[in-house]
Amino acid sequence: MRCHLNQPTQLGRLQGGHARSRVACVACHSVHKGFAKLAPRQAAAVNRGCAACHTAEWAEFQRPHRHKLPEAVMSCVDCHNPHGNFLPGSAQTVAANEPGCFKCHADKRGPFAFEHPPVRLQGCRTCHEPHGSANPRLLTRHEQRFVCLECHANVGLTGNAGGVPPAFHDLASARFRNCTICHTKIHGSYADRALRR
Amino acid sequence: MKNFVLVLLIAPLVAQSPPATPQAKPPAPQAKTEAWLTGTLDLGYRWVGKVGGDFNTYRSVVNLGEGPKLFGADLSLTDPSRRLFDRIDVRGHSWGGDPYNTARIDARKQGLYEFSFDYRNLAYFNFLPSFADPTRERGFFLNQRAFDTVRRSRDFRLDLFPGRRITPYFAYQRNMGEGSGITNLVLDGNEYPIRTRLYDRADDYRGGFRFQFSRFHLTLEQGGINYADDQSTFWPGGRHGGNVLTPYFDQRLFLESASQLYHVRSDSLYSGAMFTANPLSWVDLHGQFLYSRPHSTAKLAQQNTGNFLDFSVLAFYTAQLDTVAGEARRPHSSGSFSAELRPIRRVRVIESWMTDRLHNAGSALLGEMLLAGARTVDVERVFAAQRLVLNYNQQQVEVVVDVTSWLALRGGHRYVWGDAQTPAGLINLPYGDWSGQLRRHVGLAGASLRVGQKFRGSIDFEASPGDRAFFRTSLNDYQKARIRARYQVLPSLILAGNVGLLQNQNPAPGVNYDFLSRDNALLVNWNPWGGDYLSLLAEYSRSTLRSDILYRVPSTLGRELSYYRERAHGGTALADVKLPGSGTIKPKLSFGGSLFASSGSRPARYYQPLARTAVAFKDRLEWNWEWRWYALTQQLYLFEGFRTHQFTTGLRLTM
Repeated sequence: MRCHLNQPTQLGRLQGGHARSRVACVACHSVHKGFAKLAPRQAAAVNRGCAACHTAEWAEFQRPHRHKLPEAVMSCVDCHNPHGNFLPGSAQTVAANEPGCFKCHADKRGPFAFEHPPVRLQGCRTCHEPHGSANPRLLTRHEQRFVCLECHANVGLTGNAGGVPPAFHDLASARFRNCTICHTKIHGSYADRALRR
Repeated sequence: MKNFVLVLLIAPLVAQSPPATPQAKPPAPQAKTEAWLTGTLDLGYRWVGKVGGDFNTYRSVVNLGEGPKLFGADLSLTDPSRRLFDRIDVRGHSWGGDPYNTARIDARKQGLYEFSFDYRNLAYFNFLPSFADPTRERGFFLNQRAFDTVRRSRDFRLDLFPGRRITPYFAYQRNMGEGSGITNLVLDGNEYPIRTRLYDRADDYRGGFRFQFSRFHLTLEQGGINYADDQSTFWPGGRHGGNVLTPYFDQRLFLESASQLYHVRSDSLYSGAMFTANPLSWVDLHGQFLYSRPHSTAKLAQQNTGNFLDFSVLAFYTAQLDTVAGEARRPHSSGSFSAELRPIRRVRVIESWMTDRLHNAGSALLGEMLLAGARTVDVERVFAAQRLVLNYNQQQVEVVVDVTSWLALRGGHRYVWGDAQTPAGLINLPYGDWSGQLRRHVGLAGASLRVGQKFRGSIDFEASPGDRAFFRTSLNDYQKARIRARYQVLPSLILAGNVGLLQNQNPAPGVNYDFLSRDNALLVNWNPWGGDYLSLLAEYSRSTLRSDILYRVPSTLGRELSYYRERAHGGTALADVKLPGSGTIKPKLSFGGSLFASSGSRPARYYQPLARTAVAFKDRLEWNWEWRWYALTQQLYLFEGFRTHQFTTGLRLTM
């Protein structure tokens, strides 16, 4: 660190978990084994390095629905800054201060005339398991209605956000058990505040 | 004059001396015998066996195809004269019709430039009826929110004069997605799954200067984004009954034709200033301020014909003409500052603070005309506006004490506070804006252990008694712990383990949220005899998740329990065995794979065993083949299972 202390890569060091847990630089950077090992750039090599310690996280990528890390088309550093960042989990940012997810999922970035608040207030992890899931679309629940209704269950203006859907949402009908059948623009809409188009 | 100004700007950059911090010495000139091109090429052919079960699920999960492939290329080019470059690295992965292709080029010349180009092409196919299919009970297995798209990104970055005191850099990224899919045209009383064309692209330009000195570093960056989204949804003609077959007032609703065209344009300017400094030997300071100002305009034109019902006036109509003009602005500023103080030996105090503030103001103007033949049923002009505000703040102080050379203890406190305001939701009863507060006091504790070179471990624990949260499922009254350890038992044997726990509760009446997640993982890396004959890398994980929360049934407002359970076993393993060869022929057998088996709310079994043989002929040529099996079964969604095997053979050329 004597030489590298004041370099841009160290910007989030004090907020990152690696520095806090005193992970040595040489745990990831092999200084005597050539350029490829000094700063691994290949996705497979990066992922191997991270998985050596983050075994539980790597196990999440063995689920059927996942980001394509085992296929080596993405690497852990696409979403996380190993040197640390001010966001939780040392998540990467894009376009200054937007969450790193929007680098690839640009169509969810907005700004929308009608935003779905959790996307901005709490982030994608409110509804999705970003590493991997047994549920389609990396959802946190096995059926859509539970993802939605666990928040949309507040009668009146209570302490938590999210009201109750109007009474015609009869859960006995399959139409209403699949919320995105109608609320197609669930991440935000430019045209409809009920997020239907 | 322009040339003069250009020279004036560039001259100091070129003339600058390296910063005081020691820089890596330029590599020694290469011997003339050293190869200028080195690396490997993996070429081959993949056969895909018959896919049993649901082919769309196979495409949604695996999606690998048959044919000749360039499985990988990893080439390094060095210029002995070092005139234009010192080294160029070219890497490619999965070319030849595979769903995920990547390419990367890194070029550098010591002290002059570093250039990188990264290309990714990801196919995104998703057709899983269990996600969104209201007609499944009628025997139709259709995902009404399906996609068959590709997403491509191209990243360019150029750093000039790396290692000097002033380093300008430029970057450009294009990210675009296109393809087709199925989505619903949603109208009163019915929705119609129809075809959609998707196209979006984002161009992100940025540039800046890095100033690096021995005691501080400063980066100034300015960038901008242009974004376009031109989604179109259409039904060319023909009667489409939609999801609802029951008549309203003795009339069936149907769609004859539809077209819905979006024209979304967005731009954003963003700026950032970041610094690190250690003004005194016992003080490190880091800080950044980031600001972005995205702005969107959107137009939507919709025309549809058929037989529809307007619930607001209870009248049938046969044609709808809609135009919507929308606009949104979302200024967003973030700042963070952190300091590490080392007032006495063995003690470090880390203080950090961050804030994130955004304000989205959006509005849309709808013009709508409903016609029944030549008669106008309804004409509307509706203006709607919404506002979303977030002010998030976090302050944390942590003290780290190096108790001994091998043990450091940590303790601290985090305070999270803020407020948010969300729009008047259509589904809030009664209607009205929601505003909420966030308050969270979190206690932090931890330890880091390092015993010689063989053992290292860390423990992290945090807990909060809960106060106020934005959402019912947010972190509230929670405890989170994580233990990581890595032990080199023998020079040839490494064990690594993880234990994690998250317990979160919100006991408020009507919520009763109780969440518990545990995960344990063990990794074994065994390389006896220096890995010359055998090596094994195996990992096993066990995770459980339990979630209970009350929700309301919309039609009755009665309370029900949403419960979710998952008990999962996961494992990956790869064993390499070197087989007896003769002379320069060196065969190697590898076998292993991965498995995931879970029970609970969505039981699933996903197996991917593999076996691989590689035979090296001298040092430059290797022939390999691989067999891999993919099988997914889901007990409650049997229609979404598949099984297939793949056989791959290829040559690896080493240069």
